[in-house]
Amino acid sequence: MEFGPVFRALVHNRARFLLITLEVALTLAIVANCVTMVLDLRGKFLRESGFDETNLVVASLEPFSAAYDDENYLHAARARDLDRLRALPGVRDATAISAVPLSGGGSATGRKAESAKGDSITAPYFEVSDHAIPTLGVKLVAGRDFRPDEFRDYVDAEGEVHDQPAILSQALADKLFPKGDALGKRITSGGDAKSSNVVVGVVDTMFNSWPQVERISGHAMLLPSQPEDKRLIRYMIRTQPGARKAVMAGLEDLLLKADAGRIVKIRSLQEYKENTYNGERGLIKILGGVVVLLVAVTAFGIVGLTSFSVSQRRRQIGTRRALGATRQDILRYFLLENWLVTGSGLALGVFLAWALNYGLVKMTTVVGASALIPKLDWRLLAGGMLLLWGSGLLAALAPALRATRVAPVVATRTV
Amino acid sequence: MLAYHLRIAAKSLRRTPILSALLVAGIALGIAVSTAFVAAYHTMAKDPIPQKSKRLFWVTLDAWDPKRPYNDDQPKDPPEQLTYRDAMALMNSPVPTHKTAMFKTRLTVFPNSRDQRPFRARTRVTYGDFFTLFDVPFQYGAGWGKEADAGPQAVVVLDHGTNEKLFGGRNSVGQPVRIEDRVFTVSGVLAPWFPKPTFFDVMNGAFEEPEEIYVPFRWTPIMKFQTAGNSNGWTSWGNGYEDMLASEGTWIQYWAQLDDARQKEAYQSWIDGYAREQKKQGRFGRPLNNRLFDVQQLLDWEQVVPRSSKTMLVISLLFLVVSAVNLIGILLGKFLARSPEVGVRRALGASRRHVFLQHLLECELVALLGGVVGLVASVPLLHGIDRLARSADDPALYQLELPVLGAGILLALVAGLIAGLYPAWRICRIPPASHLKAQ
Repeated sequence: MEFGPVFRALVHNRARFLLITLEVALTLAIVANCVTMVLDLRGKFLRESGFDETNLVVASLEPFSAAYDDENYLHAARARDLDRLRALPGVRDATAISAVPLSGGGSATGRKAESAKGDSITAPYFEVSDHAIPTLGVKLVAGRDFRPDEFRDYVDAEGEVHDQPAILSQALADKLFPKGDALGKRITSGGDAKSSNVVVGVVDTMFNSWPQVERISGHAMLLPSQPEDKRLIRYMIRTQPGARKAVMAGLEDLLLKADAGRIVKIRSLQEYKENTYNGERGLIKILGGVVVLLVAVTAFGIVGLTSFSVSQRRRQIGTRRALGATRQDILRYFLLENWLVTGSGLALGVFLAWALNYGLVKMTTVVGASALIPKLDWRLLAGGMLLLWGSGLLAALAPALRATRVAPVVATRTV
Repeated sequence: MLAYHLRIAAKSLRRTPILSALLVAGIALGIAVSTAFVAAYHTMAKDPIPQKSKRLFWVTLDAWDPKRPYNDDQPKDPPEQLTYRDAMALMNSPVPTHKTAMFKTRLTVFPNSRDQRPFRARTRVTYGDFFTLFDVPFQYGAGWGKEADAGPQAVVVLDHGTNEKLFGGRNSVGQPVRIEDRVFTVSGVLAPWFPKPTFFDVMNGAFEEPEEIYVPFRWTPIMKFQTAGNSNGWTSWGNGYEDMLASEGTWIQYWAQLDDARQKEAYQSWIDGYAREQKKQGRFGRPLNNRLFDVQQLLDWEQVVPRSSKTMLVISLLFLVVSAVNLIGILLGKFLARSPEVGVRRALGASRRHVFLQHLLECELVALLGGVVGLVASVPLLHGIDRLARSADDPALYQLELPVLGAGILLALVAGLIAGLYPAWRICRIPPASHLKAQ
């Protein structure tokens, strides 16, 4: 019923209302895309990696003592360390490992099913000692764990490995053997190299060292080995729930007391992971901040506009009140006006949001990786619209309420 | 006249202090956010060595697997790094003005003082030319010469932080330092040095702190240095250290300084000639694809500017647009509310042009104030972004440099101009008579 006058007033003051429409539209476009990115980044950070992330501790040892040049000493030192670590109160299990999962640094090789044609695919791996599966917390879903006699050196004179057992992540097993018959099969390096592994087990979810490389983040394999690298030894230690901090506090002293000829660094797996995701975690906070500021600026613009609109029409309001309009009528008038302006802004904003999303996807797509920002989800867009519509209404409420307090007597004053 | 306009504009702003403060705050927010992200982007995308970037070349040779490209997604690209044997062969070329093969490793340093424990230092294994090639600044002493390269002599260059740690910041040139099982002599100490991006080794993170110590390359086979950086291979690395050096694995980085087009051409034909020579011995099975990348080409090829920086740049500029649109709306309201006064001024003889200019100047004043406040606010904002996106023990990455500050002020003025045009135009078209009549 009041639509006619409201609309005519809008047309009369079109410039100002078009500006707010544009502002609301731009805000929706930016907010929708920022939130899309935040949810996507958060989802990736919180993704199940297969490891008992909260209870794992990494001890990195860099020996400098000449004693480690002797391979037997190296082996004995490692066995001794592992015994000590496993005997610590609060420790569930410990293993030696060649690289830290989720850390951004590790090794990969190429593997294909021996019977398959075509190229090998990237197969990231961790060389481990015994107790790897119970320590990491990954779940064996098929086959078996390594046998004690399988922890030996497989490298021949040419530097190739032959039939070294391997435990694959389900994702890697499915990729190499789409029919699901990985167990007992041989995987090879393909091409001229002659290295090979035999699949003895499959674990369900197990990430590699590069969780951000989407295409292969779930591809990983465990290989039994003897330590070769005398310059860097790594242990992973799984603690009882809640005991991580206490265990970490005593580790450096324990390992140095056993042998002072090395540099020891203790960090939790979570620290490694957070470090890997530093950029993403920062981006989440930055984007969140931008969204809050932006909505605040736009709400401020709406407050300003409605205030101005009210102050310009004091006499008109007074006249209407004098002619019998109730306070509710006045309130309804200004809220309807606000609703029309934000509403058209949101309608335009849907197109802008889509256009910005298209542009950002295009800009952040690089060969061989997915874009930094996923496509817009309509549910999210709807949520953004609701948020802006609500904050627009809230922003208009105070000035509109002030309008209802204009006394009818204002109409009788000349200026 | 300008002074008069300015006075009127300032007076107008003072008359509505709260509104004016909000106007300034609004545009300051837009400028602060956009300047901070422009600065972050600029830090990552700028030319790190403008005086030389066109003359320094990253050298690649395509000795990769004949059956399969190095990079499946970009099959025409050669590997970024060289095999040890190819890098050593390239060191024999007389063409470049300066050249170096290099890689990154970690070596144990034993402090002379008894109460300090040994530590692993991030180490660059390189030739003496490294310091000349990249204009590395020294605090004490200098790099090492050709004799030290050839010897090799046991000399070491320490970075600023390591000299602080080992010698308390004193001039340590000539002092002994035990590294692994050998005693080295300090030949120079670097001044603080952290080019961004760290273009000379983009293979191991383009924004990582440079190495702590530098030692001559020829110690590699003698002391059996292992790379601690990126390495890629397509055949077996063999069994043992000698096999590794002779393998087809790529892990050595190579830079050459070529001062003009003729020298570059001569060098290209020299390395192509080397590759043809190797083809006769059964290596280099792929088509001839040995490429020289200057600094900018290398940074583009390796896509060192993170996608998130570009995204945030776009979003922050849109943020500025929203603040500017906000400014237009409020200014329009403020100006129109002043219609009666302008009507009187027009009736008393003020020309449209003067009314227009005066109001535009008022907008510019708001924008300038907002710009200054915004730039001041962008400093802590940039610091905040830095802290959020990096771990606590990393040194600050982003810098607010002079060109970015200039760009910030310019952005503010342009935003003020664009935001002011329409409101000023509207107000200058107020007919002189209408408001006189109403009164």
